[in-house]
Amino acid sequence: MTAPLDLPLPERTLDASGRLCPFPIVEAAKAVKALSDGSVLLVIATDPGIAIDMPMWCKATRHEHIATFREGERWKSYVRKRAR
Amino acid sequence: MEKQGKAIAMISGGLDSTLALALVRRQGIEVKAINFYTGFCITETQRRKGGRPDGTVPRNEALRAAADLEVEIEYVDISDAGYLDMLVHPRYGYGANANPCVDCRIFMMARAREIMEREGADFVFTGEVLGQRPKSQRRDTLRIIERESGLDGRLLRPLSAKLLPPTIPEREGVVDRERLLDISGRSRLRQIALAKEWGILDYPQPAGGCCYLTDESFGRKFFDILGQREELGEERRIAREDVVLLSTGRHFRLSPRAKLIVGRTEVENAILEGFAEGRARLEVRGVLGAVALVEGEPTWEARVLAARILARYGKGKDAARVEVEWREGDLVETYAVEPERDEGRIEALRI
Repeated sequence: MTAPLDLPLPERTLDASGRLCPFPIVEAAKAVKALSDGSVLLVIATDPGIAIDMPMWCKATRHEHIATFREGERWKSYVRKRAR
Repeated sequence: MEKQGKAIAMISGGLDSTLALALVRRQGIEVKAINFYTGFCITETQRRKGGRPDGTVPRNEALRAAADLEVEIEYVDISDAGYLDMLVHPRYGYGANANPCVDCRIFMMARAREIMEREGADFVFTGEVLGQRPKSQRRDTLRIIERESGLDGRLLRPLSAKLLPPTIPEREGVVDRERLLDISGRSRLRQIALAKEWGILDYPQPAGGCCYLTDESFGRKFFDILGQREELGEERRIAREDVVLLSTGRHFRLSPRAKLIVGRTEVENAILEGFAEGRARLEVRGVLGAVALVEGEPTWEARVLAARILARYGKGKDAARVEVEWREGDLVETYAVEPERDEGRIEALRI
């Protein structure tokens, strides 16, 4: 999982480093709720579980999963809020 | 006449709750799924420790089930003091181990009721099957759970609904009772056949649950720590950090008032490091070895015993003498000990 070349600029960045699964997803869910439709959230995490969880959470909640990839010791996950 | 309804699904992601979710969704009912975080999930703990022994990382099955059926899911963190208090004072007692399943279900369903009310939903449903589990899924227990959680008439068990009295959403036509099921007992054959028929192919193998509280070894440690607190004249309680420590390392009862925990892996050593405050931290000097913690009030004999056991779990286990550093706050001592070689004695102390 390498970083895609063309990533959008996130409206909000949530640093969930040090938090263990499923809490990065719990925090991401709260953060997305506060965003306007079409906005992008960047979640930074150290728990590798986010690479499995985030795509599934996006599918369940119908938000757009843009990318999740590893960058050094951290994982970055980009999510675009979809209109309900 | 049917009307559009909304429901809250309590899902674990196992076969039964996935089927219940699919069954209610097939009636055109809007569903929001919830999954409770208790801190006692074995899979979640495995994930935190870097995955299974074979190197694979288990999935979060509740999330997988919600994703497959495209149902919105919310995690509900109930791992706080209220839940922990229930665990040590269960009204309906424990199962075979440290599992107060009836009280736990009541606790979760009371929270589900609050979410139902907040979301303006009509009912809550689960994947429970009548008679599948010896205590928490008996007919009389299902009724107790429904009543005590405040969900009277609004708790649907779609897989066994036809064997149970009609609920309010069934009577009001929100749910078509005719399209619910009449499954009971421990066999999963009907569920497996239904899953195949509905194209639900990706689900975990039924394996007796994912909860540490039902685990025999965990249960021993759970009651042991309560016993130590009683011995020390402390209140009967389990704290959040106990939950992590009870699922980490090898545990040894040094005396009625002192306990040793030895890390088994680098990840476990790191976890133990995080809980050193308020405990003694032990480490072998000069050779590779584990990190250990001692809780309680160890006597001199218990201290030496702890050092000897720790020395046995490191590269110095065959040495004549090993130096063990004993650190408590700012106080640092060194004990020169012979590693414990009597496996029978070690096993007798293991909790």
